Amino acid sequence: MSELPLHVEINKHVACIYFSRSSSDNGINANFAEELRGAIDCLEHNDQIRVLLITGSGGSFCVGTDFGSLNQNSIETFKSLKISDFVAGFSKPVIAVLNGKALDQGLETALACDFRLAAEGAKLGLQQVSNGLIPWDGGTQRLPRLVGESRAIEIILSGRLIDVDEAQSIGLVDDVFLTDELMDGAMSLAEIIAGHGPIAARYVKEAIKTGQDMSLDNGLRLEADLNILLQSTSDRSEGIQSFLEKRKPIFRGN
Amino acid sequence: MITGNRFHTLIYSKNGPVATISLNRPEVVNAYNVKMRDELFQLLQAIDIDDDVKIVVIRGNGKKGFCAGADLTEFGTAPSQIIARQARWDRDIWGAFRNLDKPIVGALHGWVIGLGVEIACFCDIRIASEDALFSLPEVALGMIPAAGGTQTIPRSIGSSRALKMILTNQKLDAITALDMGLVHKIVTKEVLLDEAYKIAQQLADQDEAVLALSKKSIKEGMNLPLNSALSYESRLFSKLLSSRLSDRE
Repeated sequence: MSELPLHVEINKHVACIYFSRSSSDNGINANFAEELRGAIDCLEHNDQIRVLLITGSGGSFCVGTDFGSLNQNSIETFKSLKISDFVAGFSKPVIAVLNGKALDQGLETALACDFRLAAEGAKLGLQQVSNGLIPWDGGTQRLPRLVGESRAIEIILSGRLIDVDEAQSIGLVDDVFLTDELMDGAMSLAEIIAGHGPIAARYVKEAIKTGQDMSLDNGLRLEADLNILLQSTSDRSEGIQSFLEKRKPIFRGN
Repeated sequence: MITGNRFHTLIYSKNGPVATISLNRPEVVNAYNVKMRDELFQLLQAIDIDDDVKIVVIRGNGKKGFCAGADLTEFGTAPSQIIARQARWDRDIWGAFRNLDKPIVGALHGWVIGLGVEIACFCDIRIASEDALFSLPEVALGMIPAAGGTQTIPRSIGSSRALKMILTNQKLDAITALDMGLVHKIVTKEVLLDEAYKIAQQLADQDEAVLALSKKSIKEGMNLPLNSALSYESRLFSKLLSSRLSDRE
């Protein structure tokens, strides 16, 4: 009898994916990866959903790949375990909520989110080097883009654990909460975002994320085109109208 | 050359090599409107070709703040999206900011909201007074920052912090803005302008070509893979060196 690797809770416009293989500290196996890819695809196409939280059940966020359940470590196996590109490819805002250890592929998954919140006792690290591997689900690319090349090399080569104070000071996490207050804090940030223009939120994410790989001039062109496209939405008119009438806007996502 | 108050939304003044642009709609915390766009665009083009000006200081008039953002009372008046897109590039005000070779010093106080943050991000050096308050409310209003902010802000503070700030309409005080690298220095309100002019004067004492080339090398180099960027730096340096040598002859 196997436990479900994850479950999804939906509260109006906010979806939360809970990793729930708590018997293995939410280690990722092929079934887990497949379920997660499926859940993300499903939420992508659910127009009610405006924000996604990803967190862990139990005491850990995710300790990485569960090699114990693998028969053979072929390239195909690793491909079947990849998840970070699916998380990063989600068009709506995604927040990683690090309730405990976020290690190896677990941290790589968190790095694919738009920003990260953490409980005060959480520990972060990429320790694949000590198993004779390199970070393989985006870590060597997303970590240096977030904390700078030198820090990323030091963190990956040493494989050391990072506490939340350090993580916050280098920009690896954005906010730290008391453990008991983490989920409420995450939920209220998610609800703030869900109350904002949903198309605007997707477009700002696209402009920032895609713009990272562009020259500044091309990034400015993308921004301008998305901005002008937004002028065709009724949400934008509602935003302006609500501001002028000094009331809260009601966005419909069109 | 443009001097004095032929503008409605700006005040322009020159003191030796240092030019000052004051956003001047204090009754609406210097909200940016079409008139201000046209005047700024005209002024930046004039500054670009004015050999007397080496450094630009930009600031906001009035007690309340630097700039409260775009003037929303003028929104919704735009014609079709086709025409809006054409207008964006006919008067490419943000390109004019970005392409100015002369260093820009931003003196930021009070409200620095929306497009105010975006103007600040076109400044090479940003000093804030302790009372400065930064936020980007566009997404909360169904829009996106579109004065370059989706590109310039992540390049200053990183994409995660930029996304969090914009998606949640987070309000940053001066100290948080300093921690994140959104501003480079904080001073008291009373000495903000003195400090801006002190920095402007230090820059004005430097060789103009050196400042322009440093700025160019960094800005253009960031768009290139490292190897190409290093070649670009070498080319700029050789050019500078040969002009120095021919000066000496």
